[in-house]
Parts: sequence; C-alpha cells; structure tokens
Amino acid sequence: MTNAPILLEMRSITKEFPGVKALSDVNLVVRAGEIHAICGENGAGKSTLMKVLSGVYPYGTYTGDIIYQGQPARYSDIRQSEHAGIVIIHQELALIPHMSITENIFLGNEPRKRGAIDWKAAQRKAVELLNQVGLKEDPDTLIKDIGVGKQQLVEIAKAFAKDVKLLILDEPTAALNEADSQHLLDLLRGFKERGITSIMISHKLNEIEAIADSITILRDGKTVETLDVGAGGVDEDRIVRGMVGRELSSRFPDHTPKIGETFFEVRDWTVRHPISAERLVCKGESFHVRRGEIVGFAGLMGAGRTELAMSIFGRSYGVYLGGQIFKDGKELQLKSVADAIHHGLAYVSEDRKAIGLNLLDDIKTSTVAAKLSKITKRGVLDEVAEYQAAEAYRRELRTKAPTVDEGVSKLSGGNQQKVVLAKWMFTDPDLLILDEPTRGIDVGAKYEIYGIIQRLADQGKGVIVISSELPELIGLCDRIYTVFEGQITGDIARKDANPETLMKQMTSTKKMQTR
Amino acid sequence: MRNFFGKSVAVGAIAMLALTACGSGRDGDDKSGSGGEAAKGFAANSLIGVALPAKTSENWVLAGDLFTNGLKEAGFQSDVQYAGASTTVADQQAQITAMVTKGAKVIVIGATDAAQLATQVSAAHNAGAKVIAYDRLILNTPDLDYYVAFDNFKVGQLQGQALLDGMKKKKASGPYTVELFAGSPDDNNATVFFNGAMDVLKPEIDKGNVVVGSGQKDFKTIAIQGWKAEGAQARMDQLLTSTYGSKTIDGVLSPNDTLARAIIQSIKSRNKPVPVVTGQDSEVESIKSIMKGEQYMTINKDTRNLVKETINMVKSLQAGTEPQINDTKSYNNNTKVVPTYLLPPVAVTKDNAAEAYASDPKLAPLTK
Amino acid sequence: MSRFKDLQKNLFGGTTSNARQFGMIFTLLAIVLLFQFLTADKIGVGFGDGLTLRSDNLIALFQQNSYILILAIGMLMVIVAGHIDLSVGSVAAFVGILVAKSMADWSLPWPVAILFGLALGAAIGAWQGFWVAYIGVPAFIVTLAGMLLFRGANQFVGNADTIPVPPGFQKIGGGFLPEVGPDTGYNNLTLLLGLAACVAVVWRELQSRRTRKEMNAEPAPMWVSVIRMAIMVGVLVFVTLRFAGGRVGTSFPISGLILVVLVIAYGFYTRNTAGGRHIYAVGGNSRAAELSGVKLRRVNFFVMMNMSVLAALAGMIFVARSAASGPQDGLSWELDAIAAVFIGGAAVSGGIGTISGSIVGGLVMAVLNNGLQLLGVGTDRVQIIKGLVLLLAVALDVYNKSQGRFSIIGSITRPFRREASAEPASSSAAGSEPAKTTVAG
Repeated sequence: MTNAPILLEMRSITKEFPGVKALSDVNLVVRAGEIHAICGENGAGKSTLMKVLSGVYPYGTYTGDIIYQGQPARYSDIRQSEHAGIVIIHQELALIPHMSITENIFLGNEPRKRGAIDWKAAQRKAVELLNQVGLKEDPDTLIKDIGVGKQQLVEIAKAFAKDVKLLILDEPTAALNEADSQHLLDLLRGFKERGITSIMISHKLNEIEAIADSITILRDGKTVETLDVGAGGVDEDRIVRGMVGRELSSRFPDHTPKIGETFFEVRDWTVRHPISAERLVCKGESFHVRRGEIVGFAGLMGAGRTELAMSIFGRSYGVYLGGQIFKDGKELQLKSVADAIHHGLAYVSEDRKAIGLNLLDDIKTSTVAAKLSKITKRGVLDEVAEYQAAEAYRRELRTKAPTVDEGVSKLSGGNQQKVVLAKWMFTDPDLLILDEPTRGIDVGAKYEIYGIIQRLADQGKGVIVISSELPELIGLCDRIYTVFEGQITGDIARKDANPETLMKQMTSTKKMQTR
Repeated sequence: MRNFFGKSVAVGAIAMLALTACGSGRDGDDKSGSGGEAAKGFAANSLIGVALPAKTSENWVLAGDLFTNGLKEAGFQSDVQYAGASTTVADQQAQITAMVTKGAKVIVIGATDAAQLATQVSAAHNAGAKVIAYDRLILNTPDLDYYVAFDNFKVGQLQGQALLDGMKKKKASGPYTVELFAGSPDDNNATVFFNGAMDVLKPEIDKGNVVVGSGQKDFKTIAIQGWKAEGAQARMDQLLTSTYGSKTIDGVLSPNDTLARAIIQSIKSRNKPVPVVTGQDSEVESIKSIMKGEQYMTINKDTRNLVKETINMVKSLQAGTEPQINDTKSYNNNTKVVPTYLLPPVAVTKDNAAEAYASDPKLAPLTK
Repeated sequence: MSRFKDLQKNLFGGTTSNARQFGMIFTLLAIVLLFQFLTADKIGVGFGDGLTLRSDNLIALFQQNSYILILAIGMLMVIVAGHIDLSVGSVAAFVGILVAKSMADWSLPWPVAILFGLALGAAIGAWQGFWVAYIGVPAFIVTLAGMLLFRGANQFVGNADTIPVPPGFQKIGGGFLPEVGPDTGYNNLTLLLGLAACVAVVWRELQSRRTRKEMNAEPAPMWVSVIRMAIMVGVLVFVTLRFAGGRVGTSFPISGLILVVLVIAYGFYTRNTAGGRHIYAVGGNSRAAELSGVKLRRVNFFVMMNMSVLAALAGMIFVARSAASGPQDGLSWELDAIAAVFIGGAAVSGGIGTISGSIVGGLVMAVLNNGLQLLGVGTDRVQIIKGLVLLLAVALDVYNKSQGRFSIIGSITRPFRREASAEPASSSAAGSEPAKTTVAG
C-alpha cells in the first residue's frame, strides 16, 4: 500500500474556534485505494478535520494546505468538495423519512430532462446503485419504512450517485447490529477493489483492526502517529495506547462482585406495541435482579430489550397487558415515570441526545432534573443545593467541563453520558437500567463508565445493562439474559458467558423455562 | 456586607431627596378651564392634532388631506393621524395620548369607536387641550368640548322624504311596499339617520300608505354590522327569497351609498325592477348609478365644508373667542349636552345633481 | 466594539442571572434615549425636555401597553413549552364583553365582576388546555379555532354594541396610586414603591454575590457590583421621580402595578420553582422531560389555561382603560404579544426564553410605537418599521449565534458561558440538535 500514489494530503491544518484550538498542526496522508481509519477519543478533532476537508469550514477559516489529486484544494462549501468526488456520510443520517429511496438518493442532484426531473432515469440509476451497495429494496420504499442498516446503505448509494472518489464515513456502524456492520465492512472491502478510497472514523477498534490499511491517530487536536497495518504489529491495544497516550492494561476495571439477595422481580410481564394491537413486544416474561448484581440483557436489534425496560419504567412504552413488579417482596404499581422514580427505579436511555437530555440545559440543571423535589425548600428551588449536588457528581464522575454552568450540548458523548448517569444517581435509585450506556463513547470514557457501574453495584444497587456489544456484556455483567423477539431465551452466568453461547441463545426461539 | 447594604440604601435615598429638592413643579389639576367657557386663546402657530379612523373610505382620506392643508394655511402646525387597519381603537387611543404629550392645543377626533375614547379625552382636557368631536359624537365623557357634524337627523329626514317622493313619481298612489336598512349598530350616527327617516316614514306607515313588506322595522334587526356591503346584499337576498317571490318592491330605505349599491345589485341579480333606493355620501359609483337612473338619490355632505367649519372653530379657540355654535340641546353624550355646530345636508337626485356638484372637481364631470 | 465587549464581560461576565437582565435594559435604554433625542430635536428643545421621558408620556406608555405585556407573560410560558396561542385577543374580547355586561345588565359589583372574568378565563383556558394536553391537538389549531370561536362569541353576546363600565372598574385600567400623606410635591406612594424597588435591587445583587460564594465561585469584583447597582438604582430613581412628579392626580398607574406584581410573581415561578423548570424541560425536549418524571399533560394544560386567565385579565384592563367594551377589542393582540416574546429572545422551537426578556421585548415595541407617534409618523409607516424591527432583531440574534459572536439577545436569554472547551460550540450544537428531519446538503 505504501507504494500507491498519494490521493490526499492535509498539511499542518490548524483550526481555531473562539477560545479553543480544535486542530493544531494536523497532518494526514491518504493513498489512493486504501481504507484509512482515523481514531481518537471524542473531542480529539476527528470530525473537525473531516469538516475542514469537505468544505463545511470553508477555505480561509483554517490554516494549512490540502492537496487533493496533486492539486491544492480550496473548497468554500460542500458542493465544491462533492464536485471533486469527496463525499462525507455523517453519523446522523441526512435522509428524509417521508421520501422514497430514489428521491433521497437524488435529492439536490436530480437528473433533469428539459428542466423537469427525469424520474424514469432516476429510477433506473437507483436500481443500479442499490445493486452496487447490495441493498435489495424497491426504490419506491419510503426511508422511514426501512431499518437503520439499510438507511446507511442508501446514504452510500447516494454518495455513489455523486461519482465518489473519496468516501468519508463518520461512525458508520455505531447504530448497526453485528450482521449489518459486517455487511457494511464487506462492502467497503469491495469498494477498495474497485479503486474507491475510504476514510473511516470509528470507535470500534476491532472493526478498524480488521479492515483498515492505515490508521491515523489524533489526540487533543494533534496528530499522534500514522500506523501502517500491513507492516504488522498493530492490534487493538496498540491503537488504544496511541489514543489515550498510556497503556490500558485492561478494558474493564478489576471488580469483585458483592452479590446479595434477590430484591427486584418481574413476573409474566406482557406488553403490546403502542399502535398495532396484535403485536406483543413482551410475551409474559419474568426475570429478577439481586442486590449488588450487574445483569446484562443481550439481544439483536429489535429483540425488545429497550421496550421491556421502558415498559417497566412507568409504562413509558407500549400498552400494559399484564404482569407484576415486586421490589423487596412488595408489589409495585408503576403507572407513571414519577411512580417509578419514587420507587427507586432509574432508566438511562439508549439515545442520550433524543430522549436522555434536554440539550438546551446546562450540567447543573440536567443533573437535578429527575428529582427537583430534592433541592426544593418550601416550594422554592435552592440554587446553592443544586450547584453543590451537580458539582459533587462532576467531581465524582470526573466529568470534563470547566464548570457545571456549561451547556450539555457542548460536552463530548462520554461526558454527556456521565451527566445522564449523574442525573439518575441523583434520584437515589435502587435499580438502574442502563440502555447502551457506552454507545458512541471512546475507550477511555468507557473504562470510567464501567467503573461507575461497578461502584453503583457495590453500593448494593441492582444494575441492568442493555448492550449490543457482546464483549462489553461479558466483561461487565455477573449474569446475562438473552432476548429474542420479546422472549427471554436464556439466563447465563458469568462463567458460562462467551460470544458463541450468547449468540446461540440470542437467536433461539425457545422460551427459557423460569426456574 | 450589611454595612455596604446600608450605605447603598442611604445613597439611593439621598439621591432621591436631592432630586426631590430640585423639584419638578408638579402641574395642578385644574389649571386649564373646563368645557364651554372661552379660554384666553393660545399662540397662533400651536400644534393642532387630528385623529381619524383607518383609511378605509375615501371620505376620511380626503378629510385628512383637507385638514393638513387647511391648518397649514391658517398658520398652525398640524399632526394628522389615521388609526391602523386592524388595531383601530388601541391605535387611536395611543395617538391621542401622543398628541397630548406633544402639547396639542386642540385635538380633533373622528372616533373609530365612539364609546372607547373617554379616558383619552379626559387626559387631553386635563392637559389643557380642547377636544372637538368630528363627524362622530364621543360618548360618556364630560370633557368633550365641541361637536361638529352634518345634521344627521336631517339626513335621515331627507332620505325618508326622498323615498316617498320617488315612489310617488313612479306610482301615483299607494300602498307602497318598502324595506328598511340601517347602518352599523356601533356607530352612533346610524341610529340618528334611522330615527330621522322614521320621523318622516312613521306617519305614512301608520296610515297604511307605506307597508314594510317583511315587517322588519326594529333597528337591531335591520342594522348592517360594520356598514358592510356584503351584509346588506345578503340581507336583501334573504328578503327577496322570503317576501318578494311574486310581489314587487317599491322602495328601499338605505342609509348610505355603499349599502344602496349592494341592495340594487341583489335586486338586479334576481331580474327584478330596481325600486327607489336612497343613499348618502355622494360616492362616485353612486353618482354614476343615479345618472343611469338606478339609485334614486344620495346626500351631499361636503367634507370640504365640514373640515372648513372645524378649522374655523380652531381659529376661534386660538383667538380666545367662543366658536360659533348652532345647537345646544340635541347632542347628549350620556354625561352632558355637547355644544354642536351642525351643517345642513343636501338631498341630490338626477334632477339637481349638476347643480349640487358644480364645485366638486371630481363629481362635476359625472353629472354632465 | 472590542472595548464595549470588555466592559460587557467585566460587567456581566461574573454572574449569571443579573447579567442577562442588565444586557436587556441596555438595549431598551438605547432606544429610549434615541427617541428622547429625536423628539427634543423635532420640537427644538434641549435633550432633557424631549417628549419621550416626560412624566405624562411614561405614564401613558405603561397604561397603553400593560395589557400587551401581561399577555406576553403568558405567551412566553406557552412558547417556552413549545406551543403558541393565537386566541388571546379573542378570549380577551369575549371576557371583556361578558364582564362589561355582567356589571351593566346583572349589576354585579365590580370586584365580583373581576373575579367572574378571571373564572371565565380559567374556564376557557381549561377548554383549550384539554384539547392540547389530553387529546393532543396542536395548540396552533386549537387556538386558531379558539380565535374564531371566541371572536364570534364576542359578537354574538355583544351584538357589536359598545358597553360602558362603571368608574370603580375603570380604575384597574386607567387608575393611579392615590395621594396620601404629606405634600412632598410628589406622589408619596409612588416614591415608596421606587424606594422599595431600589432596596430590592441592592438586596438582590448582594444576595447573588453571597450565592456565588456559597457555590465556591469567585463573585464579580466589588466595583463591578457597585457600578451595576449604581446604574440600576439611578434608572429606578429617575423613573420613580418621573412617575411621582407628573400632573397632580396622576402617578404610577394601577395597571402598571398589576403588571409589576405579575412580572415578579411569574418571573419567580419560572426561575425558582420546580413547576417553572418543568415548562422549560417540556419545551426543550418533551420526551426527555417525560422520562424524567415530568407530567407532560399537566404542564401543557397549565400553560394553556394560565394563558387564557391572563388574556382575561388583559381584556378587562383594556376595557377598564377604554371605559367601555367594544366590538374591536383584542384585534391582533396575539401578534403583539408573540412579537414581544420573540424580540425578547425566546426560541420558536421552545425551551428558551425569559419573562423579563419578553417584557423588555414588549417595551422595545411599545417605545418604538410611542416614539414614532410622537414624531408624527403615520400608522402605516409605524407598522412597516415595527415589522422590520421584529425581523432584524431576531435575524441579528440568529446570525450572531451562528457566528459564535456576542449576542445581545443571547446574553439576555442564556446565562453567560465560557467558550467551548472541547469540540467547537457551533458544530456540536448544530450536529446534536434533536432534529426531526435533516435535509441533505
């Protein structure tokens, strides 16, 4: 690979925002036909670098040179960079839900015939593009009716419609399940054979290790190093060392569980889909959690784990049909979120930005949001108590922010997640349900969050972790339930947990026999 | 901290006292005279405020221009304001208040809502300004000084008489079938027009010489909200359906030209002969209609004369003399009888149109 | 510019809530002084004798606009919760006519009639709140319906008549603080009120310094606090003397007093209570709020109902000031109130905005209106200017925010924040917006 011609070179790129240097003197060399991964913790400057490249930050707002195909590139907007064949696919997909696949693929780039859109040509081209990305869908299907994995493929097809030479993917597999991720990676390999160069930003180091030809690591807005995978000696630990600047001996903190009695139990829990009356999302399921225990819920996307958790949390999802919840031997009636919080339940949602946080709030407002009664004195909010509580959690969880007055929208994913954790720790829960607690979070922060989860368990709380990353569940949990299509199919102790057994149970249609 | 707090309060208090000592010379409440008694007059180049309703009819636009020019000629400064189209009352209230602040000596008000300006009129009075109600009487305030308008009762009488005359011309003897229309119920003048007309028509109705076909004679029933043409047209449509399926209609009492034309439109669309229809305001379209022989009559209330008389009143007040008044008993605004100068209206039919509009540059050519 | 920025940072950088209010008052002050200069220039007198700051004009300004400002309070809460209320003008007119009729036809004593009016407002609000909160019809639709419904009801009940109201009732719209105590050459009650306000300002500043200390944060330097207090107290003293020193019989208007009480009460509610914070939470991210235990329906019901109660009050104050209820009451009030809220820095998407910001927004429009009228500018041109000001004020704010520069309205609405430490502010904020749909570039 090292002999291939250089397609893109970015030289001493420096980009400043008022008060911060987001990039300082960053260099990047991408050779034609390779898959080049960019790694770094959140806030390292990966996205900013790509925005500089694609013209989101126009020429003149940064210093340094971009040489693309041997020519200096000075883009003043995305259109220009796209014209040159540089297409970026963002983490948040830019698709319009109520338009068809064809319409989305050609949005802003419609084939015209005498001024009008030539839908016939568009259709033909769309089928062709969908074949290229291996998506078997009717091009008239609406985006909202296909899954995230397929939407991602539509995005890529859209890039192809623009005659892409350099494809940039920002966290392409973050929202995908294992199978879809695998498909996407295969696709990237296929592109490589066809001579398309890709830049991939990802936190999933195993994927990077498997697919990348070169890896450039950024830390704190600076280039740390570029690794040539072909030369050997590059593994996950090596990458992590570059990213965090130190050796991480283990991905999980050492922990000896202190497990007590069963204190939380759900029996015969049955819930149907909020709209479709026939569709059961929980089919009479039962499970239990002990004090001090970290219980995992493994399952494929759409298995019903989130639905189960939210329906227990004050009936936040679906329509309750039956089942009981017991805590400390007493049955609870949790008809609203307020009831659930009152009885010591906490649910840290899967999607921080959409439903976990009010992004307009600052850290301190977010921290106390779920239990304002704790800082209310005679009907009046006590600002000092609020500040002190938020500050205490900021220190305890080591949230990176200058003060608790900082807006949560300005924090990195890991720090946002710490704020969400603080918000729920502030409610003094007995049972915490954490839904994908480390999604989109970098390695260092993951390690810290695992530590927090373990500490919470050691305080005698029960913790439920829902995750799509099997290594995470295996490394963290004391016991793992597997879920398939609304049914609990297995209850696996830590010592028996390995990816193979889990995967087998996660795709089993046989309901587990309760006790 | 406590110490500092005390100091701050002290500083504030001292500042206030210091300013108090300078004194602002608070104006007394009753410095300026009230009501009718003639004041000593005021400077010849004083500010005169004129607050008119929204620019929805050509009449008001004309009046505004006449005031601007007339006051300027007379040597005054003028401030002529129209209310906004959607927020009429609030705008007019604010405009009058602003005129008071600016120190206007006389404020002429063509009210958008006659009953919602009492507070502002009182404020003007207390600030020593004279208030003249122009065309529309302002209600419920003892602080209104003068009222200048056409004799609206007389307008009604003329309309009533013309209706009778017109019908007699077409058909020598009765009984005549008629319908009655009146103006907007929130306009005080509408009632006066109607009462004037009924002053003439009532005896004939009682005698049975004139018959109201639908039997609708009550003001509330026949009034057209907001003087809206579509309201009159809709009502006439209904009457034609309910009452005049086979019967013919001899005459319609309409309070103004806009409504008259709407009524004629409604009748024509049913292919019925156009009856005798009265009007008012000398609108261009109605003059054309009269010359064509459709609308029977209109009333000429020359805005020029009304503005001229108002400005004469302002001049008298400036000189410190009592303005000319010719009615001191008819116009009670619920708190007092307002001294009034009434101008006589003129009834215009096809016969005297050329003579009546001879001096009007816009209307005269239409009557040729 | 940069020097101004330094000053701004020094004066406002230290504390949060005070800083906001201070920035706002500056903006308003600039407009007031501009018109003071222009009116003085027009009639050819010294700056001090301009018309804008004369007692009678200040009094009129408050009386003319108190009802719009009262509406703006309610509207702010509605807009922060992510809704809108188009029906306020119609509701005000409907309540106004019924209250006037209740006194004229059923001879209710006026204090009872006021209670009746408020109860009526609550009932109307409950009706609208029911559709919005419990059935889930968008507030835009519910209140558009309400706008038609209650305008029609007003005409149905009132028959387009103008109904006068008794003098006792007129006090709430046109009345003044009475004259009591010794003859000081000023209205004594107004003086007392002004003094109380000065004390409150000083007390609050010191209180906030104390709070900062308890939060282990460095309060602003003492001189900054002193300057801040001096300016505030200076303005208050000036305004007090103007109100107290007007023509005998006039003083601080009762409607202004009602407004001040409401601003303080609602300001406190939105800032310092759990209920108030829930409104911001619902507007900022309703799903997140719901999952934090906020009772969504209850909050939505409350803001809609509260709005109608305030609309009822505004309607009664206008009727009282006009001495009669008329068929044109309340026309396009909703637009004035909404404009005030947005000029005051609220976000169209909800979650952002303050009561004091909205009041200043309303005052900016009011002063503009008044100043232009004093200059003899016709209503047609005044409307054009007001439209442009609304557009420019919000556009400037949006532009400045997108450029990451100092934003007047931004500093009004959000606590002053230090610049981003990690990812740049603009990019992460834009990217992380809980956008429903994103348009491909």
